Amino acid sequence: MIRVALAGNPNVGKSVIFNALTGARQKVGNWPGVTVEKKEGICEHRGVKMLIVDLPGIYSLSATSIDEKIARDFILNERPDVVVDIVDASNIERNLYLTLQLIEMGANIVIALNKMDLARSKGYKIDVRKLSAELGVPVVPMVAIKGEGIDELKNTIIHASKTQRIPIIKYSDGIEKYIEFLESKVVENSILPEYPSRFVAIKLLELDEEILNRAGIGEEVVREWISSVS
Amino acid sequence: MRRLHDLKPGTKAIVLDVEGNTTLKQKLLGMGLTKGAEVKVVRNAPLKDPMEIEVRGYNLSIRKDEAKNVIVEVRK
Repeated sequence: MIRVALAGNPNVGKSVIFNALTGARQKVGNWPGVTVEKKEGICEHRGVKMLIVDLPGIYSLSATSIDEKIARDFILNERPDVVVDIVDASNIERNLYLTLQLIEMGANIVIALNKMDLARSKGYKIDVRKLSAELGVPVVPMVAIKGEGIDELKNTIIHASKTQRIPIIKYSDGIEKYIEFLESKVVENSILPEYPSRFVAIKLLELDEEILNRAGIGEEVVREWISSVS
Repeated sequence: MRRLHDLKPGTKAIVLDVEGNTTLKQKLLGMGLTKGAEVKVVRNAPLKDPMEIEVRGYNLSIRKDEAKNVIVEVRK
């Protein structure tokens, strides 16, 4: 069975897509230890079974809120086969921030570019093919509320589950030299080896508290590494 | 040097820098308040806190206490 997680900003139509994928085959509970709703469901398409997990709606994965922490922990620790990142096409700029974070975490993502009708009525023309090529991930345009794109999304999920791509988001040279150096330190000291080394390096550069705590490294150590890059 | 929290409704500005601890900074940057981003103050809540701003094509409600950390340059 393919394990699929649904991620996305609040109000992007995540529930609509979850319901369209799973129909009546749903189970509602809580995430362990917290009163945040956890929805799971089964989707069967062309003889392939998929377990769909609905993650809380979030704007980023910085783990500053309980919702973000749940989503981040699930993706990093449970390693779903495919993460469907639902993007509101009518609000694409803000939504793509989460997309980049998901790619950086090494998640195997498929973008469900929802609310295409609303984007069009706002006058946006989105080059779906180019977006997909630039990000290195499949993009499925959708109007989920009308059922448009649901079948293509299912096909794309199944296809993506068989092909592991790890696209890399490149920053400017000025930032890349820090990432490169920190990544070498991450590998050398086997810091959080269960996570992608580039992701850990970027989080260290951000001085992300959660990652520093998990790795058991002090901020001053990372600051020293950063200042040693010329 | 101006800060986002003391701009009046209708004012447009460019973000120059974001201050604060790592967590707050990550949050503000994550919501799109990055260097160079254009912001517009839409309105204030009745007690002037929080304030609503427009950034990157969407509206964001933000506490005055957090907006204080965003350094801006007013656009005429």
